[in-house]
Amino acid sequence: MADNNVLQISAAVLLIATFAVVSRRGFMDWLNAYRYQSIVLAAITALIASITGIWEIYIAAGLTLLIKAIIIPKILLRITGKLTLEVRTEISPYISIRASVLISAMLVALSYFLTQQISIKTDSIVSTFLPVSVSLFLIGLFVMVVRKKALSQVVGLLILENGLFLFATALTHGLSLVIEIGIFVDILVGIIISAILMSRINYTFDSLSVENLESLRDD
Amino acid sequence: MNYALLLLQMTITLFLGGSAVSLILGGKKHASLVIFSLSAAASLCAIAFASNQFLSDGPTRFSFKEIFPLVGFDVLVDNTCAFFIFLIGVISLAVSVYSIGYAKKYGKISSFGFLFNFFIVSMILVTVSNNVFSFLIFWELMSLTSFFLVIYEHESQNNRKAAINYLVMTHFGTAFIATAFLLSFVQTGSFSFDSFRQLGSNSIFKDAIFVFALIGFGTKAGMMPFHTWLPQAHPAAPSNVSALMSAVMLKIAIYGMMRFLFDFNNISSPDNAWWGLLMIAFGAVSSVFGILYAVVEKDIKRGLAFSSIENVGLIFMGLGLTVVFASYDLRALSAFALMATMYHVINHAIFKSLLFMGAGSVQFATHTKDMEKLGGLIKKMPWTALLFLIGCLAISGLPPFNGFVSEWMLLQSFLLTSQVPDTLLQISIAIASLAFALTIGISVATFVRLFGISFLSKPRSELAAHIREVPRSMLAGKSIVAALAIILGIMPFVGINLVSISFGLSGVQANPFAPLVSDTHDPIYASISMPTVLILLGCVSVGAFGFVRAIGGKTQKITSSTWDCGFGSLSERMQYTASSVSYPLRIIFRFLFRPTLQIQKELEHSSSNYEKRSVALTQSTEDIFEQKLYRSIISASIAFFGKIRLVQTGKVNAYVLYVMLILVVLLIYVRLQ
Amino acid sequence: MTLDLISVAIGIIQTLVLVVLAPLLTGIMRKTKARTQKRIGSSILQPYYDMIKLMKKDEVVSESSSWIFRASPWINFVSVVAAACFVPVMIFYSPFGLAGDLLVVIGLFGLGRFFTLLAGLDVASSFGGLGSSREMMVSALIEPALFITVFALSLTLGGTNLSTMVESATHSTVLAPSIIFAAISLFIIILAETGRLPFDNPATHLELTMMHEATILEYSGKGLALVEWSQSIKQIVLFGLFVNLFVPFGISTAESFAILGIGLMFFVAKTAFLSIFIAFIETKVAKWRLFRVPDLISMAVASSIIGVIFFYLK
Repeated sequence: MADNNVLQISAAVLLIATFAVVSRRGFMDWLNAYRYQSIVLAAITALIASITGIWEIYIAAGLTLLIKAIIIPKILLRITGKLTLEVRTEISPYISIRASVLISAMLVALSYFLTQQISIKTDSIVSTFLPVSVSLFLIGLFVMVVRKKALSQVVGLLILENGLFLFATALTHGLSLVIEIGIFVDILVGIIISAILMSRINYTFDSLSVENLESLRDD
Repeated sequence: MNYALLLLQMTITLFLGGSAVSLILGGKKHASLVIFSLSAAASLCAIAFASNQFLSDGPTRFSFKEIFPLVGFDVLVDNTCAFFIFLIGVISLAVSVYSIGYAKKYGKISSFGFLFNFFIVSMILVTVSNNVFSFLIFWELMSLTSFFLVIYEHESQNNRKAAINYLVMTHFGTAFIATAFLLSFVQTGSFSFDSFRQLGSNSIFKDAIFVFALIGFGTKAGMMPFHTWLPQAHPAAPSNVSALMSAVMLKIAIYGMMRFLFDFNNISSPDNAWWGLLMIAFGAVSSVFGILYAVVEKDIKRGLAFSSIENVGLIFMGLGLTVVFASYDLRALSAFALMATMYHVINHAIFKSLLFMGAGSVQFATHTKDMEKLGGLIKKMPWTALLFLIGCLAISGLPPFNGFVSEWMLLQSFLLTSQVPDTLLQISIAIASLAFALTIGISVATFVRLFGISFLSKPRSELAAHIREVPRSMLAGKSIVAALAIILGIMPFVGINLVSISFGLSGVQANPFAPLVSDTHDPIYASISMPTVLILLGCVSVGAFGFVRAIGGKTQKITSSTWDCGFGSLSERMQYTASSVSYPLRIIFRFLFRPTLQIQKELEHSSSNYEKRSVALTQSTEDIFEQKLYRSIISASIAFFGKIRLVQTGKVNAYVLYVMLILVVLLIYVRLQ
Repeated sequence: MTLDLISVAIGIIQTLVLVVLAPLLTGIMRKTKARTQKRIGSSILQPYYDMIKLMKKDEVVSESSSWIFRASPWINFVSVVAAACFVPVMIFYSPFGLAGDLLVVIGLFGLGRFFTLLAGLDVASSFGGLGSSREMMVSALIEPALFITVFALSLTLGGTNLSTMVESATHSTVLAPSIIFAAISLFIIILAETGRLPFDNPATHLELTMMHEATILEYSGKGLALVEWSQSIKQIVLFGLFVNLFVPFGISTAESFAILGIGLMFFVAKTAFLSIFIAFIETKVAKWRLFRVPDLISMAVASSIIGVIFFYLK
């Protein structure tokens, strides 16, 4: 029972962290919030490790902390350091921040509703984290849809990835370590490439608004 | 001795007498006194009739064969019916007293008095009808008399438009109601309500009947998106009529809905839960949109009309909760939700009639209902202002007034949905409760603005500067309902007992101090006792006054001008206006209002863009339903009928051709059968 | 929980504690803010001195105002103190608990606010109107957040009756996730209701930033003293609700003087800590633009909705 309560609360804290990321507009703000979210995620991973007793998951937790909370923010900071403030702040998303916070709450409700049938039959780790991971997934996608700036779309990607990671960890109690490390390298490379792309987009259009990419279409 | 029949006959006779007298006396000097005293007497009879029914054991039945020889006019008066008659009686009593003074605005009132009395009597007859024919006939009579009353001030183009719109929409609703009745008739083969009752939940069309009834009665009650007639008709009608329409006529629609929901049906299976959810959804939309349009409205009466839509929304939400609880067989909770809803029905009738009469007094004194032209009325019309303030406090749901009690009960009903055994439903209702709370929040803003701009600070135009307090009869009419608003606020057991007796609920309280409890489980879930709250307020105010006096001693009051930052005197044009007060809310809900802003500049010299002689700013908001939904339907139907006109060529040959074609098609059809 | 003499006495003492300590809390917050900004700041008892001084002064009343303007501070004060009667302070119940629940407290605050807003409009200056209009917006939008928070709380703690709520908060051993979400939401609401940064800056008189201060700009003398006092009572009531619902440890469960004294000490310590914390936050954040305030409120709403979902779908 006590275990269950700890799980519930950690899931709650992860959701709070996610909302902190969604509700921020400035680049530095959401990056800090993302760092916090990754730390929470690492803690949750460690928690799962201690409950299931699989030592490999501890390594995954450590890697999460190292890569997501330290390396990725560093890389993003370094590459975007040259960009001006206007480029880095989400000024006018398609849907206002307040509406997107409310819609994200609805998405959480939706994912709980969607996974309700599955989670009854399984153990407490899955039933706690499955809906949370699905909601991170949906929120990530939603953030990517409504943001205009390429840089803020990366937020969505990162939230989505965290959701996927949690999904995999919670459902399978740890993928094989090799695969896990492969995924980490993958996301790292993905971030580097997107960061480089972003600075190229900025160089070409003098803006990071993805709306400008429409002009590349062959009419 | 049958008092019931006698009282009913007296009520009807007195109202009809009022109509007849007004036709005869019409233009005489004291005509209004005679006519409306008769209406007031008739209203007292109606109250007596309802009370008599409450005291008697079971439903009372009469049959008047002679009125409608073919189908008969069956009367069944049960307690539900008596509840609504009681409501009609109380409100029409207040409005009749008010009208004695108000009708002086019009010189000759023969047709007005005639229609006024007929309108009230037709509402009473609708509620007592026990078969489809008489119900629909009186329903139609009620619609038509109110239509003529809306168009009474027909000099204005806008009023004529509003009345026509009302006529169309009300018949749209009646068509749906008639369909609902017909679907029941198809199964029973009888037009009597008794047979519908026996049909109960065995009806095969019950879902369809529910939807038709909801749309039909919803149209009459002003449920969004079928509300468009309401914000036009209420301001157009004379204020005493608006008070009756908003306070009582909308409730007759609720009465009809209740007959269909709880009388012709027996809700007890979870299959019916979606009915409740649908009503909650409609209610949520009506209340939020209604109050949002009310908060930006500059016309007092239009603002009140939108607020009626809001309150109807709250009532529908309450009915929806009742249905949800009933469908999961949570009888006690369902009874509590029904009590909350009906308490709100009474309350809305009381404070809305008070506010409409107040708006009428403002119009009577200043000849305008535009808030931007008012201001400072509290100094010239102190009593009207006080009564209007009571109405505003009550409708904003603040303690210790009646609105608070019913809104507290409705909020508790929302909280009690945690006992409904369906997670999806629980969460949807929790989210719908956001709409309810937002509505309450914005309604406080609406009425602060309405009262603050119209009655406080300095007059904004000449119209509001030289005025007098309205005649005493108008104040008396308003005082009746204002007193009720206070009584039902500090002594909720009066209303609770009334509702409990009317709907057969087990909540009768004898002790006024006994707390009102929402859920009777052991540790106390929630409870209030308004008399205690009032006593606390009283003790605290005595204590506070004594303490401040003891510490501070006697001090003087020095009157001076408002602080003007040292720039010289403030003029009344520097005050905040009605539009500027609601500006922040208008900006936040911009997506809904689609405000249009036009700035016209007149330049001093054509060469310079900066020196302006004058700048005019016009801003307007539009009803999104009217704009998006109705206009597109109207333009589509115009286009459709434009196409049909092609068929109408005007040549005889063509018409013969149509006849021939139809004949051939019919023959082929018959052959294929 | 019968209405005997001792419990009524406790109830009156609890109310008096709130009423008397309220200006102290304001003093503590001002002092903390001053110290964090490297100022010495006035004594923490300064609000008391101010109030006594103001009560002895003559009142200047605008000639364009009406009785509403003069009555408003009184009504505001009375309704706020009446609301304070229902709040448990050092013991887990309030003897008036049966007469009013959390919604009554909210309703009485609403009554006070209604008159404050009217008084703002009554003085016929643009400042008053401006303040009323802005405060109207915030209070209208905070209402859904408040109710859904009450919803989450009543689900977890079994009612809206404050005694029941505080009692079950005292007895609960596990921390329910829905409580965390409700706490976040209630914290944001408290910032908004008490006019703290980032919603409103209580220490400014600039027309760009004023909200609550603008509505009371015309008050002087007794009226001003009452307005300030009711504002701090409202603040301590909300803080008290927060600490007693979310960190109820130390609250007394028996009616003996010693335990009540300990309960009182814990209460003072907890509310003082909360006010110091809020004062720190105030030093760190800037005031948000008026039209970004709904963003913050929507966070409170979202948080409570998730709290409700967590409760239903665990």
